[in-house]
Amino acid sequence: MRGRTFGWPSAVLLVVLLTALLAIAGCGDSGSEPSGDSTGAASGEPIKIGAILSLTGTYAGLGEPEKNLIEMEVKKINDAGGINGRPVEVIIEDDATDEAQAVAAASRLIEQENVVAIIGATGTGQTMAMRGDIQRAGIPQVSMAGGTVITNPVDPLVFATPWSNTIVVPFTLDYLKGQGITKIGLITDSGGFGKDGQAVFKEAAPKAGVEIVADETLNPGDTDMTAQLTKIKNSDAEAIVMWTAGSEAAIIAKNARDLGIELPIYGSHGIARQEFIDGAGEAAEGVKLAAGKVLDPSLYPEGSEARAVADDFISSYEQAYGEKPGMFPGYAYDALYLVVEAAKRVEGDLTPEALLEQIQATTGWVGIDGTYNMTAEDHNGLTVDDLQMYEISGGKFTPVQ
Amino acid sequence: MNARTLRALAPLIAVALALIVPLAVSDRFLLKVFTFCGINALVVVGLALLFGYAGQVSLGHAAFMGLGAYTSAYCTVELGWPWLLGFVAAGVVAALGGLILAIPSLRLKGYYLAMATLGFGLLMSLAFIQAEPITGGVDGFSGIPFPSIGPVEFRSASSLYWLVWGAVGIAVLVAHNITSLRPGRAMRALHGSELGAQACGVDIVGVKVRTFVVSALMAGLAGALYAGVVGFISPSLFTLTASITFIAMTIVGGTSSLAGPILAAVALTLVQYSDALIPGLPRETAQTIQSYQEDIYGLAIVLIVIFAPRGLAGLWKRRSAGNEAS
Repeated sequence: MRGRTFGWPSAVLLVVLLTALLAIAGCGDSGSEPSGDSTGAASGEPIKIGAILSLTGTYAGLGEPEKNLIEMEVKKINDAGGINGRPVEVIIEDDATDEAQAVAAASRLIEQENVVAIIGATGTGQTMAMRGDIQRAGIPQVSMAGGTVITNPVDPLVFATPWSNTIVVPFTLDYLKGQGITKIGLITDSGGFGKDGQAVFKEAAPKAGVEIVADETLNPGDTDMTAQLTKIKNSDAEAIVMWTAGSEAAIIAKNARDLGIELPIYGSHGIARQEFIDGAGEAAEGVKLAAGKVLDPSLYPEGSEARAVADDFISSYEQAYGEKPGMFPGYAYDALYLVVEAAKRVEGDLTPEALLEQIQATTGWVGIDGTYNMTAEDHNGLTVDDLQMYEISGGKFTPVQ
Repeated sequence: MNARTLRALAPLIAVALALIVPLAVSDRFLLKVFTFCGINALVVVGLALLFGYAGQVSLGHAAFMGLGAYTSAYCTVELGWPWLLGFVAAGVVAALGGLILAIPSLRLKGYYLAMATLGFGLLMSLAFIQAEPITGGVDGFSGIPFPSIGPVEFRSASSLYWLVWGAVGIAVLVAHNITSLRPGRAMRALHGSELGAQACGVDIVGVKVRTFVVSALMAGLAGALYAGVVGFISPSLFTLTASITFIAMTIVGGTSSLAGPILAAVALTLVQYSDALIPGLPRETAQTIQSYQEDIYGLAIVLIVIFAPRGLAGLWKRRSAGNEAS
């Protein structure tokens, strides 16, 4: 017998050879990648911006429209001359609604693509997860998630376009109080956005004179909430408040109606999208939530800039994708343009520091969510005045008083 | 150059080539991908001992990696320990986990052992989510410092690469020593026939327990390295999918071999990063590959089990045996 026939060293050699080969092949070509077909007015070296979106997983219904919007607007920006004559290239990565993949995506965008800023992520947990990479790289990040933790305490590098929970939760609580509801059953997801909402509710509810009589949680990806809802049913809650942005929201609404719970259901600004209505079907009827005025632009005064921006956004999105945009393409629109408009204002070299300074200097800029006024203390820049309460009726978001 | 000289020179050439990879690769992310290959290879070396040599299946190895990763993160961030101490603690905790899992393995075989380890893996991935004060829950654990030994901090992509592959090198040496000596023969005997091994005087209990512990230790250390390299960990990393990926690498690599599984670990890890690796590859193609990643692994297992039950290592052996005969 040959004894140890298979010499491990020779195979290790093979591995290393293969690795070295791939490595050499890999770095030989890098940099020669075509920068997209910018046939429009813009030319020159593209400005690279990274976008980390949840295109799969429980936030897929949020990330997909965001991707649509970004692709559509980038084309529009480049056709109109790009950023001071240079084309924009937005490199989109999918984080699969997963924190670890968001980190991997951020490190690829930073280390391999050398992006000047990152738009994303779609979710709060993913946004927070990549913070380490953002800090190491020192580039600005504009998130499209609504967790308070993203902008409070303020991270000098991180901005967010949706209203943070600290704005939406008190608004919702005041509305509940106005409806004569003082006892609520809260159901939140254990991931970033829901956990954040839960903490804000616990702090804000006593101030608003509302009592949380049931406090239930679910894990992202759960497919049945009957147990949690039964507990809420058996408490003396007068309304169900669900604070989750994922596809679980539709399941909560359906489970609640299946259990014969007739309590009114309130959601977060994370469900202001058609996918929730389609997913929950009949059970979506009567669900109330706070969101931006863009869901019904007629709320803006006729002839105002906000009205014009909103109308144009809705019509071009509908034309391109054949459906009405929910809130999420709006969050992406605002995130993209906060970066692009800031980049246009940068004089001289487009360094991350210069870009950061200009994003923070955004004042009175009318986006889809409302009018942004960034300061060193406020990296969200929106106010409660831009919010509106809606009720879903006939499969549509209808403003209510 | 005959086969014998090649075999003698191979380790030297392998080490030399592994060392110069960071000098040849300027792309930091690509280097990180090769570092991930090393981390997975470290887990797979441990799993090769357990599965490839001793024939004990584990569908819960990601849990050991998670134990190590969270232990090192907690020790360095929350307790403020030096990294090296956290790294050792990660190994100890994971080894303890291995000891616990070794207990059912004394009574269970085949499918039943697979089920027990699967259950262990599922329990642990739930525990990582629920033990929020320690693990940070679903949101994960962030702000983990770079590895450092004394005043030396492994911050650059190339130093992290060398650290990880250095650890792999040491693990391979340890594993090679184990397998080429008496314990290795005992393990192979156990793989062949448990009763037969017992009849020959092999201390089955001892072999099983020690192999589980060593294997878990390596996975735990790999987890601690991952935490240091990336700086962020979350429960979604240490799930059943990850465990199955590791076992896939081991099966594809082959039994009674260390090099085969390492090769498979590198190859299957690279599948995931095809877009970073091949510059011209269209994004859609890369995404298609990524979304079928698990299917590719599954298919690889099926093909290997049908056509080359002893894995890549078995194919290699058959080929070189044929060459020497002719």
